[in-house]
Amino acid sequence: MAMFPVQGIVEGDFVVVLVTPDDQDPMTAVAQAIAHHGIGTRVAAQDRPLKVRYKGTMLDDTATIAGTGCAPMDVLEVVYG
Amino acid sequence: MPRLARSQWYDLTRDMNWDFSYVTEEEVFPELLSNGFGVPSHDWWTWDEPYKITYAEYVHNQAGKDAGLFSVNNVVGRSKIFENLDPGWLAAVTAHYGAIAVAEYQAGIGEARMARFGRAAAWRNMATYGALDETRHGQLQTYFPYQALSKEPRLDWAHKAYHTNEWGIIASRHLFDDMFTANDAVSMAIQLTFTFETGFTNLQFLGMAADAMKIGDIDFGSLISSIQTDEARHAQQGEPTLKILVAAGHKDIAQSLFDKMFWRAWKIFALLTGLSMDYYTPLEHRTHSFKEFMDEFINTQFIDQFRDFGLEPPWYWDKLNNEMNWVHHAYHLGVYFWRPTVWWNPVAGVGPEERVWLEEKYPGWNGSFGKYWDEMGKNVREGRVELTLPETFPVVCNSCQLPVCTPAGYAAGYLESPLPLQLTIDGRIYTFCSEPCQWVFEQTPEQFAGHTSIIDRLLGGVIQPPTIPGALAYMGLSPEECGQDGTDYDWAHATAPVTAGPAASGAA
Repeated sequence: MAMFPVQGIVEGDFVVVLVTPDDQDPMTAVAQAIAHHGIGTRVAAQDRPLKVRYKGTMLDDTATIAGTGCAPMDVLEVVYG
Repeated sequence: MPRLARSQWYDLTRDMNWDFSYVTEEEVFPELLSNGFGVPSHDWWTWDEPYKITYAEYVHNQAGKDAGLFSVNNVVGRSKIFENLDPGWLAAVTAHYGAIAVAEYQAGIGEARMARFGRAAAWRNMATYGALDETRHGQLQTYFPYQALSKEPRLDWAHKAYHTNEWGIIASRHLFDDMFTANDAVSMAIQLTFTFETGFTNLQFLGMAADAMKIGDIDFGSLISSIQTDEARHAQQGEPTLKILVAAGHKDIAQSLFDKMFWRAWKIFALLTGLSMDYYTPLEHRTHSFKEFMDEFINTQFIDQFRDFGLEPPWYWDKLNNEMNWVHHAYHLGVYFWRPTVWWNPVAGVGPEERVWLEEKYPGWNGSFGKYWDEMGKNVREGRVELTLPETFPVVCNSCQLPVCTPAGYAAGYLESPLPLQLTIDGRIYTFCSEPCQWVFEQTPEQFAGHTSIIDRLLGGVIQPPTIPGALAYMGLSPEECGQDGTDYDWAHATAPVTAGPAASGAA
């Protein structure tokens, strides 16, 4: 269990933000952690599930950062599924 | 004895070059301080400035300028002009003073380097005046705001800013240290006096002077007009230096120096001048948009000028023109959202009439950038102002040190991907906002690789605690100094929901 810095991009937002989810959190939680900084603040919320995309690949909801091989400060995109 | 006419003695006193007999050329002009690029010394001696002046004339002219300027300043100081300035204009002026005043002093260091290490006596002569000019500019742009401290205490940042690690100042120092404080004299003549002063400073100083006069801020307008008259003189050091490099067959070196610094200067200007022109200047006083100003002064006038010298538009010209459509809108949004991290009170500048203007000047603005302001305005109106304030940090570019806004360019239809660029060197990840910023870094990685951005410092444990309050304290911002909405959110209450149109279709 460790905080893991990533660069987060919320779909439709204007800027890349620094987010530090726990490396053992599932992608559903990681998506929420990143989305928190864009959806409802600058980007209108939608009633659709959020997914995490890493290097062009949609990650499984149950995947963890530790399990994906993601490196610190890699870019994770949060998009609507 | 009869006095000689100026024309009879000027060239003799201005141009005292000689061949060294007790020391070597390299000892007098070390490459680190004066990169001669292999041009023979006697070729440097042909250096010839278009506008010549004697010291007696300089003193007389400058004294006259100061007498006039301080007269205006004295009178305005007794008036209520400052107290009645539009909040947007106050934001522009406060930002300007903090970003510029001590940088002028540093430019004096750069001019002093050219005054010693310029490769021709005439050049060293001009640079001596340049050092006096920049000292004057540092003095004026600290003294004028100093007098208004009782009315706006944060004008203290005119002096304080460069002694802090505020993120915008980290970006400014990164640029200006590269451009002059830590640059060799010859490269500096190309990068400071030609690229920056001839190309860009007119945007900030003449453009803002015109706006200031329209607004009624005659103090600031007179100040920066006066400053720019000096600039026009010492900026002329670039042209003869460029000519000598080109004549010696080093057009490629001149081009490379130009290309690197032009992009770097663009980024800071998009931040400082882009916000001032398109959002802070009151709508009724705007004569042109930032993009229109760039099109006229850069795409037309400056391009003609550097083509006259045999230079070509840099390889990234299309990317520059692309960014002119969107990047400063993103920077403004970022500065507003992260307003506690700046020393002025940003105004949103997105009331209904302003949005009509923005849509006219940047077709598609409401559908792209307007929608962010729609969401923030809704939060304000529904009593959730805290949602318009940050809980984390933007990632910044390891080259320009500014927030990475590639998602904005993508969302507005100008970029093909929202992703930043990244490079790994010796196990360390570097992030860049654009291809030219990465290119700048890669030209001299040994120069830049050791620098830590504010995000690197956060992640590296330098900023303690690693929280928003911790970062604000690290940046030298007390709660009283942190920026707040300059109009108490009246833009949000004045706004009727704008129907978002289609996003602009300007793909790169």
